[in-house]
Amino acid sequence: MSKYYGIFKMQFKGELQYRAKALSGIATQFFWGLMYIYLYTAFMSSSSVDGFTLSQMASYIWLGQSFFALRYMGMPKHASDEIVNGNVCYKFIRPINIYNQWYFEYLGEKLAATLLRFFPIIVISVLLPTNYGLSMAVSGSAFILFLISLFIGGMLCVSISMFSVYLTFVTQSPKGSAAVISTIAGLLGGSLIPIPLMPSSIQYALNFLPFRYISDLPFRIYIGNIGINDALIQIGISILWLAITILLGQLLIRKSLKKTVIQGG
Amino acid sequence: MTKIIEFSDICKQFKVPEKQKGKWSFLKNFFNRKCKIIKALNNVSFDIEEGDIVGYIGPNGAGKSTTIKIMSGILTPTSGTCAINGYTPWKNRKEYVKNIGVVFGQRSQLWWDVPIIDSFELLKDIYKIPNQEYENTLTLLKEKLHIEDLLNRPLRQLSLGQKMKCELAGSLLHRPKILFLDEPTIGLDAITKLAVRDFIKYINKEWNTTIILTTHDMSDIEALTNKIILIGKGQILYNGSFETIKEKYSHQKIITVELAHEYDEMSLDGYEIISHEKNYVTLKNLSDTTFHAKDFINDISKKYEIVDFSVDSLSVDEILARLYSEYELQEK
Repeated sequence: MSKYYGIFKMQFKGELQYRAKALSGIATQFFWGLMYIYLYTAFMSSSSVDGFTLSQMASYIWLGQSFFALRYMGMPKHASDEIVNGNVCYKFIRPINIYNQWYFEYLGEKLAATLLRFFPIIVISVLLPTNYGLSMAVSGSAFILFLISLFIGGMLCVSISMFSVYLTFVTQSPKGSAAVISTIAGLLGGSLIPIPLMPSSIQYALNFLPFRYISDLPFRIYIGNIGINDALIQIGISILWLAITILLGQLLIRKSLKKTVIQGG
Repeated sequence: MTKIIEFSDICKQFKVPEKQKGKWSFLKNFFNRKCKIIKALNNVSFDIEEGDIVGYIGPNGAGKSTTIKIMSGILTPTSGTCAINGYTPWKNRKEYVKNIGVVFGQRSQLWWDVPIIDSFELLKDIYKIPNQEYENTLTLLKEKLHIEDLLNRPLRQLSLGQKMKCELAGSLLHRPKILFLDEPTIGLDAITKLAVRDFIKYINKEWNTTIILTTHDMSDIEALTNKIILIGKGQILYNGSFETIKEKYSHQKIITVELAHEYDEMSLDGYEIISHEKNYVTLKNLSDTTFHAKDFINDISKKYEIVDFSVDSLSVDEILARLYSEYELQEK
């Protein structure tokens, strides 16, 4: 395990080198948060939609902005860079599973970025007036389940992102696959439109896809939109998705590594 | 001496899309891609003994890097067998790589934006190196490569030579039994080059590390290795001691002559004129003859009036160029 901890620590140190990046991230997230809240307040002219209140909506948005780095499905940059420039050859000569290396690199990068950004956004959003700011979690047990499901959601986000690494192997271009996956995941995972605001048939359908277990589930547990019993069941489902996506990812990466040709030099 | 690397009948083929030519070719290529098969390695076999430093040389595109990649487990060959240190590199990858170190001169294995020492610490975790052993190795590497002051700086701030020294150190932290160096002195200045060479020799002597080295710098080969494997167009052309090759060409000399005055046309039996400018002429004896200074003076002074002359042996680069063209390797 110490090697994975080492990889994780390395990403953390790398992330700490760039303070301006973290500061600008905070500013951007704050701006987006306010914009989303004004937007959805305008749409939700009545004070609640199917039991989803304005103050719950505001909390949902602020959590999304605070933990943006953890839930945003981007491209594992290290992995895709290495595939395109050929440095992936150094991954081959380490006594360690290549998928796991990339997985922990990206998870470390995400956690580091999150830890550097979330606190200021939380503090400012708590201070905003009700219906615009972040409220407290509905209960202590909801808060604990929120933390657990948030961490699982982060891991799930990484394991789904790993499919774009596979697509990079196939297409040799990280940009296209990242754009496709991040848009699909953003829409189906509730980070563009909060899932409680969607029609109930779509909400039902989204339960059968992995994307909403990344951030929608933890945020709705926090605001009390999902009860404790339902939360436990859904956390179980998210663990199942995590296992499925990791296994599938391992298989696909192993398959494409066998066919890899490292050119030049 | 025990054989540490046994490479037998290795073939590697690549499928390369073939571009069609013509006005609408870009569309044709888009819809209908034709592939052709390129043989990068063709029945390559050789053995390397433990503790050897072997120079693996050949012109660009001969298959050097492909061989190194197969030996380090990065590529799977199309056919053939290979046993290195008792393992098949591409089958028992995780077990096998614990005992090898690889430096690709044009790539980096260290992390870009953290201090070098952090990269080393992570390599220590990845290879599960015990603390004491890691400290000892690191102290030795710091002293021999003079990298003490570099360790707290991130890789992106280092110069090419500093980077190379750190890369070498990084590949040796786990004290591998076999070290593959793919053009380790590319782009280095004279002092750094000498330091890197001395270090390679030291590691070979002290740790009995087997070293396989590819390079285009023939002075590397002269300074480091006594055995060379010459590869061209995917086939082994020569495998043996470097001295033998040098001796093969030792009868060939390059003679530069200063003449008393300019001659319009010059020729001399048994010699080939390489260049002729004003009153200087450069000749070499034909390859089936042996050079004798006394005969040469007799022959040339009968026809021309000479002031001075100097005799040089072929340089290693010239020998190599000669070898390549003998096997018709240079692309025309």
